[in-house]
Amino acid sequence: MDFAIQFIINVLSLGGAYALMALGLVLVYGILKLVNFAYGELIMVAGYTLHLVGGSPLPWLVMAAVAVVMAMVAGLATDYVAFRPVRAKSVTAVLITSFAFSTLLQNAALLFISPRPRSVPLPEIFSQSVMIGGMPTPMRDIITIVAAVVLLGLFAFLMQKTVLGIAMRAAATNFTMARMLGVPANLIISSAFAISGLLAGVVGILWIGRIGTVAPAIGLEPLLIAFIACVIGGMRSLQGAVLGGFILAFIDTTLNYTLSQDLLKFRDAFTFSLVILILLWRPEGLMKGPASGQRT
Amino acid sequence: MNIKKTAVLFASGAMMTAGAASAQDGELLIGGALSLTGIQAPLDTPGFLGAEVAVDYLNANGGILGRQVKFVNIDGKSDPVTVGNVAVELIDRGAELMVAPCDFDFGGPAGREAQEAGIVGISTCASDPLYSSWSLGDKQFTLSMWNTTMGAVAADFACEEKGWKNAYVVTDQFIAYTKSLSKYFVEHYKDIGCNVILEDTYTNGDNDFSAQLSRLQALDQKPDVIFLSSYGQDIGVIIRALREAGIDAPVLGGDAYDDPAMHEGLGEKLGNDVYFVTHAWMGPESHPEMPKFIELYEAKYGEAPESSFVATGWDTIMLMAAAVEAAGTTEGAAVAKALEEGEFDLLTGKLSYSSAEEGHEPDKAAVLTELKGGKPSFMGWRRPETLPKP
Repeated sequence: MDFAIQFIINVLSLGGAYALMALGLVLVYGILKLVNFAYGELIMVAGYTLHLVGGSPLPWLVMAAVAVVMAMVAGLATDYVAFRPVRAKSVTAVLITSFAFSTLLQNAALLFISPRPRSVPLPEIFSQSVMIGGMPTPMRDIITIVAAVVLLGLFAFLMQKTVLGIAMRAAATNFTMARMLGVPANLIISSAFAISGLLAGVVGILWIGRIGTVAPAIGLEPLLIAFIACVIGGMRSLQGAVLGGFILAFIDTTLNYTLSQDLLKFRDAFTFSLVILILLWRPEGLMKGPASGQRT
Repeated sequence: MNIKKTAVLFASGAMMTAGAASAQDGELLIGGALSLTGIQAPLDTPGFLGAEVAVDYLNANGGILGRQVKFVNIDGKSDPVTVGNVAVELIDRGAELMVAPCDFDFGGPAGREAQEAGIVGISTCASDPLYSSWSLGDKQFTLSMWNTTMGAVAADFACEEKGWKNAYVVTDQFIAYTKSLSKYFVEHYKDIGCNVILEDTYTNGDNDFSAQLSRLQALDQKPDVIFLSSYGQDIGVIIRALREAGIDAPVLGGDAYDDPAMHEGLGEKLGNDVYFVTHAWMGPESHPEMPKFIELYEAKYGEAPESSFVATGWDTIMLMAAAVEAAGTTEGAAVAKALEEGEFDLLTGKLSYSSAEEGHEPDKAAVLTELKGGKPSFMGWRRPETLPKP
């Protein structure tokens, strides 16, 4: 029984983080039909901001808020630097500019801060644990689950009930038509980048809370996770991204628990084989999402 | 690109090489293929900074064999192919010695090119026994102790010095370094009569240690010590996860722990009962010359060294200087012979090499460090009496 409770908490906390990562990536993809390869660097920006404000006497929650705001600013900067100037031209151009922006940010951190990791301030609560079902469970896991539920709820409300959300969904379905009906393109795209930055900022703090340090390449893993989760769930569906995040966490955790030591070394091979199987069964991902996947 | 243009490029390339080669008689060129960007940058950058300090020091004191030293490092970009190409370019420019990057995977290509050109190459901190004259050739060396020494020092310390008889071992499947360190620890730990109760694996970058924790908690017997061989930021992740779950057994590991950010990240509360085997200690307790090196370093860069890996760069250049002075030439075979025959007293420990037939196995002392309240402290030098076979 304790074992089952632990397993569920692990899957939910890892899955919550994965789902938020995937959501931030798929939000921009849905509208532009382009993967933002500089997405991982938004997490890096949140981490380094936390490191840089670490010496100040501010309360931790203020520091965290500053870090999230900086991730949003970095998200907007991605739009202005890498996407907007070449958006209308070719897909290849945007792919390359988003890669370039990612490399630029990483190397800026490497040059101006250090290639070696830097510590970030974390509140006491991040290293405490509570007893659940007779097992010590880190508070961090509980915080991650709560944060994921709250953010996913807010996000669902935004997308369903507000004008901005409806306009964003319209743009994701058929951008040309949405623009003809008076939806301002630049505003919608910038909003998507800002929300993507917000999600990356929050998930960045939770992710770095597991590690305790930040390094220039810290965004690589989250980008990969987000990408795989989106592919599993369906690149065109917001619900799919969330589902994909939880499924990926479930697969990873289950394999971690059940594989024998000799096989555990090859865990990633098992994970990706399962992903391939899912894609053979559902080539478009688990959730189809709204009609045309074309760039409009 | 058309053929004419290519031909012009080649011609101009050849002219540049010729120009550089004529400068050879005056300055002694030491080539470096250290990676200043990419995944190896955290290990290679400090080595590079330390090496620059050593070159300045040598030049201020008459150079090597009366010749001024010029150290040219071209970024190897943490890419084995680039590292090899960079080494070729440096040899074309007239490099007479080669500083190779850390780790076999990245340093190997530079070592092979140096061997091909008949010059001596030394890696600043490759510790896998694959980095040997067996695999790279009779003129190649590594400044670092091998993982055989690192594993044996950790095993001796746990089993004999502290009497921790039952170990739990976690191995990160990241690179040759993380895997062989655990292998040699386990081998030596069992040889001297101690017992491994559970071996587990971890995947670098997972940031999730929960499954391993539940396996550890399911054991009837509690471990006396945890040997954790991981890399980079994941060490902090795992120690955090262990301590949060209320497991307070001492944690033991290798030189990858030598990372001030990790110590700071663990902080006063979690950074206790952690021990690791590494190359150097940045204080007068480890070597009388250390304060002088730190002073020179601070004078050059205006800040204190970030990691003790800076000492590996200084030592690599100083070791080259000592061997060339002893040989009286930079000719590869003679310098290699001087390295094999000499006994060197370095900031990173006393060092002598075995012959090329025996792999240029380094016989080297290691530093043992303890982490208390998030602050490292020097426990002393250790040189194991017996080593596991590489």
